Amino acid sequence: MNTIIEIKDVVKVYHSAAIQVKAVDHVNLTIQQGEFTALVGPSGSGKTTLLNLIGGLDKPSSGEIIIDHTNLNAMSAKQIVDFRLQNIGFVFQSYNLIPVFSAQENVSFIMELQHRPKKEIAKRTIEILTQVGLGDRLESRPSELSGGQQQRVAVARAIASRPTFVIADEPTANLDSKSTAQLLDLMEKMNREENITFLFSTHDKRVMDKAHRILVLEDGKIVKDEKLQS
Amino acid sequence: MMILSLAWKNIWRNKKRSLIVMTSVMLGTTAGLFTLGLTYGMVGEKLDAVVYTELSHLQIHQKTFLRHPEITKTLPHVDSIMAFLNVRAEVKTISPHIRITAMGSTSRGNTSLDLLGVDPTSEQALSNLNEHILPGSGHYLNSDEQYPILISDKTAEQLRIKTYTIKLDKTPLPLAITTKLQALNGKRFFTKKKFKRAVSNVLTEKEVSLYGPSLTQAALQYRHHAKIVFTFTDATGLLVSQLFSVCGIFKTDFSGFDEGRAFVLRKDLAKASHLPRNQIHEICVLLHQAEALPTVVQDLKTTFPDVDVQDWKALSPIGEVFSQMMGLYSLMVMGFILFALAFGIVNTMLMAILERTKELGMLMAIGMNRRRVFQLIMSETIFLTLVGAFVGMVLGAALIAITHHTGIYFSSIAEGFQEMGFAAVVYPTIGAQDFIIITLLVILTGILSAIYPARKALKLNPLEAIRTEN
Repeated sequence: MNTIIEIKDVVKVYHSAAIQVKAVDHVNLTIQQGEFTALVGPSGSGKTTLLNLIGGLDKPSSGEIIIDHTNLNAMSAKQIVDFRLQNIGFVFQSYNLIPVFSAQENVSFIMELQHRPKKEIAKRTIEILTQVGLGDRLESRPSELSGGQQQRVAVARAIASRPTFVIADEPTANLDSKSTAQLLDLMEKMNREENITFLFSTHDKRVMDKAHRILVLEDGKIVKDEKLQS
Repeated sequence: MMILSLAWKNIWRNKKRSLIVMTSVMLGTTAGLFTLGLTYGMVGEKLDAVVYTELSHLQIHQKTFLRHPEITKTLPHVDSIMAFLNVRAEVKTISPHIRITAMGSTSRGNTSLDLLGVDPTSEQALSNLNEHILPGSGHYLNSDEQYPILISDKTAEQLRIKTYTIKLDKTPLPLAITTKLQALNGKRFFTKKKFKRAVSNVLTEKEVSLYGPSLTQAALQYRHHAKIVFTFTDATGLLVSQLFSVCGIFKTDFSGFDEGRAFVLRKDLAKASHLPRNQIHEICVLLHQAEALPTVVQDLKTTFPDVDVQDWKALSPIGEVFSQMMGLYSLMVMGFILFALAFGIVNTMLMAILERTKELGMLMAIGMNRRRVFQLIMSETIFLTLVGAFVGMVLGAALIAITHHTGIYFSSIAEGFQEMGFAAVVYPTIGAQDFIIITLLVILTGILSAIYPARKALKLNPLEAIRTEN
């Protein structure tokens, strides 16, 4: 199997006025292509910090993060932005869609940033939105969609750019149980059918139950790495 | 392309705020264009008056005549100069003048002024003074009349040729006013000042301001064919007098010009002053195109080095100074407008960025690089500015077109304007080039104003921006 994410002895320390907080403490981890991994743990355990480090949004205090054989530490800020665009899909807890764009435009936009051909953008946008069950809401703006629908647009946007993997930070935190189930089914389907690697943080037991691998974080350390039957 | 689409949609997120900025840009553009149009109108009219009423494009004199204008300082080589000018294609009209300083007297007043002896035909082709003759005051100089003279309204006032007579039967006024004015009915006043004083004594201040102008207009009378005796030194050095009969009264926009001169027939003045035939003091030249002026002046100076050749700028330096001052003034006004505009735009864009910090953070997180974020903010500002500037251009052009047609009458400061040589009625005008420059300046201000907010946006840390609550 192909290793997508490789984390070597990563430490992230935050400095405040009087104290130092070690948010991630000597973490070592590898994630293979096609994995559907949940990062769980109590609040303040370092889940979001670890996801930010893997997503190139933050830099580790020490250690190495290698994504698809590329060491993020060696990259400039500009290179990291471009690397994120080409390799990482993001799904945020509060959807973070562009409010003035329709569902279709929100999904197209990321491919436009990648300079994909117009025809390909148009075709893939409709395909993906149909796949996430929003084929009939192409022209709807985020304000016209429910929370679950907005998060499905966010997932569509994340996978539209054909990323190496998708990071989702608490993707179901703002959803009701029905929407949560629908979103998880969708993500699992994408993982199964298109071999897209998902790494998501959650508190939600229902989400954990869907994961194929669970990483438990406590005080910035991985205290448990459990692979489940997929 | 989607960046442009996003920018356009973003400016309509807060419609009220965007409309305020667009309105500011629109008003700035309109005000800038109109200020410039007004300045150009004022300066253009002044310069037109200097050239086409007062001086013509250039004048030729004996070397020291303008410094010490004496009757004996006549222009040498008149025939050669006239022949030289007659064959120049750039020359439109030539008008020879005799110019003598004289003292004019009537039974009720006297004044000193320059008598200009002109040939009516060539003078009318050179100067538009004939268009400034007051209605009911008479007509332009006529060669068939005996010693006619054209004087200004100011001179008529000084020589008491204008009178003011209240005729209540010919002035439609309310009964109460007519009753109050009954004692003044038929009484003649020889100055406007005395007439106003008499009316003010019987009417209230409010009544004077209400009925004064129409009362004055109805009371004004010119003494047609009034006689003026002019006394001056003739070509032989003797003091002579000559009687002239007023044929008409003119009034231009420059009271300084009006006060200083009166026009008579050249043949009459030559005869009265005993100047030998064909002796003149100045030649005024009007060209087809002002652009040819430096060449013609230079050629004249080279060909006739012993005469004084001066263009209108040298003859009337105040006109040039005013023109430059007004240009500077309009630039300052424009500068202030653009400066205020820049503040408005910077403020609006900073607010827009502050409100969208989380969204900008998300865009940066998913892979929108700094260049594109900069492009987005700049595009939003340019759209805001462009819409405002376009509407402002249309409004400014319409305002200038309308007022160019109707004119703007600066009634309250008309006298001050005329003292400075500016017309009381201004017809704003603007050239296509200036129109484009102003619009480009407004757009450039918008672009420059966007740089600071755009740089602020670039400094956002995507991680921190996503965590914000807006």
